[in-house]
Amino acid sequence: MFSQKVAQQSLRRLAVQQPLAMRSSMMGASPVAVALGKNIQTRQVTSTPNTEDPSQILVKQRLNRPIAPHLTIYKPQIGWIGSSLHRITGVALSGTLYIWATAYLASPALGWHLESASMVAAMGALPLAAKVLLKTTLALPFTYHAMNGIRHLMWDLGRGLTNPVIIKTGWTVVGLSIASAVGLALI
Amino acid sequence: MASLRTTSRLFAASRPMFRPAFARTYATVEPTPSEQPKMKTFKVYRWNPDQPSEKPQMQSYDLDLNKTGPMMLDALIRIKNELDPTLTFRRSCREGICGSCAMNIDGVNTLACLCRIPTDTKTESRIYPLPHTYVVKDLVPDMTHFYKQYKSIKPYLQRDTPTEDGLEFRQSPEDRKKLDGLYECILCACCSTSCPSYWWNSEEYLGPAILLQSFRWLADSRDEKTAERKAALDNSMSVYRCHTILNCTRTCPKGLNPGRAIAEIKKMLAV
Amino acid sequence: MASFARSSLLRQTLAPRAPFLQKNVGVSQVVAFHASAKKQILPPLPQSVQGTMNDPAPIPETHPSEGSYHWSFERLVCVGLVPLTFAPFAAGSLNPVMDAILCSLIVAHSHIGFQAAIVDYFPPSRVPKFRATCNWLLRAFTLTTAVGLYEFETNDVGVTEALRRIWTA
Repeated sequence: MFSQKVAQQSLRRLAVQQPLAMRSSMMGASPVAVALGKNIQTRQVTSTPNTEDPSQILVKQRLNRPIAPHLTIYKPQIGWIGSSLHRITGVALSGTLYIWATAYLASPALGWHLESASMVAAMGALPLAAKVLLKTTLALPFTYHAMNGIRHLMWDLGRGLTNPVIIKTGWTVVGLSIASAVGLALI
Repeated sequence: MASLRTTSRLFAASRPMFRPAFARTYATVEPTPSEQPKMKTFKVYRWNPDQPSEKPQMQSYDLDLNKTGPMMLDALIRIKNELDPTLTFRRSCREGICGSCAMNIDGVNTLACLCRIPTDTKTESRIYPLPHTYVVKDLVPDMTHFYKQYKSIKPYLQRDTPTEDGLEFRQSPEDRKKLDGLYECILCACCSTSCPSYWWNSEEYLGPAILLQSFRWLADSRDEKTAERKAALDNSMSVYRCHTILNCTRTCPKGLNPGRAIAEIKKMLAV
Repeated sequence: MASFARSSLLRQTLAPRAPFLQKNVGVSQVVAFHASAKKQILPPLPQSVQGTMNDPAPIPETHPSEGSYHWSFERLVCVGLVPLTFAPFAAGSLNPVMDAILCSLIVAHSHIGFQAAIVDYFPPSRVPKFRATCNWLLRAFTLTTAVGLYEFETNDVGVTEALRRIWTA
């Protein structure tokens, strides 16, 4: 940028101080010819023709582009962390139901005992700490998913969609779901 | 390096001549002499398309906050002016109206010109391009698809019937009020690129920014193609990949609410 | 060194050779990008743009069972689930009819939920076969689950009653 400026300035200076020198550098074209656009400047140029399809340059560049980092660098916020938990708990709960119900359907053929009486007996045989732990791991996804689900239904009505409310209800659901899950586990 | 130093000394001697070229920027401020330097580290995502085989890198720069303007954009401009001219980023208006300098700063999408530099010098600031975009160079993302999606929602007034008096299409103040919070969007793509759904399905899901614009035309009382607009959105991908994660509302640097706009679109479509 | 950084001529001559000016003041080090996982799950394909810059992005196809009807149905199921999930806590367990309604709503809700996850994470443009397999697996499992729950409702004590007994065991 700077070097261009210097070259330009020196040319201007030359034109002012020694107009004759400038004229000779313009291949001796008369000022009239220049003004009428009748002088044709010729310049000897050696160049290799570009055989590459110009429309493909950008296409090729695009293929090299990396993807900017996303999930790993985004700041953990209650909004999207809570939302991903909603999906994870939902898949876990439904997955458990699907596996259990399918196993129940297949149990006569496989000789498993998944009827209520045997499950109650199995649960009753567990020590208290294991019972509480098992119940909490079952209840926590359920309470979280259920309460966050109500939050989602409110949003679908167009309510509670401001930043402070989103943050507040998000943390409320986390607190309430943990408290109610522990409560349920201790029944 | 030795020869370079001598030349640099030569230049240093004649520095006033070069000064005006740099004095123009407001990113650099003259420090008050008594102040201690407040050095802060900025880690910036770098990727050079001229070396496509090299992986993206994080490069750190140290700046004295006393000499730097208050905003992240000032820091970036100072880095480019004084530390590393190869750093590439988009910027234009420096006042949050052009949307060029949208990027991920300290984990949140925002406009660099509206984001204050955290004064805490112990923690470093991390600057990435908009998440899950194709990187053209350094902090410059490719927005082609985003703009193509914008075009697909026909973001202009569609109307066949002229007004009775042949003058402009007028609105009641109440109808005009419905466009508040929608027309201010500058399409910086902060919200769209903060949306995990848009990360996974940007090909077909329109994303919060475009849906906010879509609602801006659905809500316009002068527009007569509401039914066509709704029909174009009524598929599994365009709108319904939104799972109300609400990163969009959280991150919008203009304080708009794309999440609510999408909720309103869903309500409009459901009825 | 400050003047070194400021001289624009030097900047230009130096830039192409040393893009990261590693020995300069303030530019301390270059760190390999840590957050890019070595093995990504389903990494995005290289960028390709359909049509020219000025063509609008294509609008996805509509289907009567997708879009607004699907969404409204899903929300109705959700709304129905709210009282039915909370009622057993008040009543202990539900009568067989309510139990059956709860079970069918849960199966519908689960099916739609799994479907949404499949649509989100397995785009047909990337993994068409895997997506189709997932969809068929889901349909099969939904069917077995529905039949299994029907069996449990008719031959056993019912879901809410069974849960109550297990919980208090």
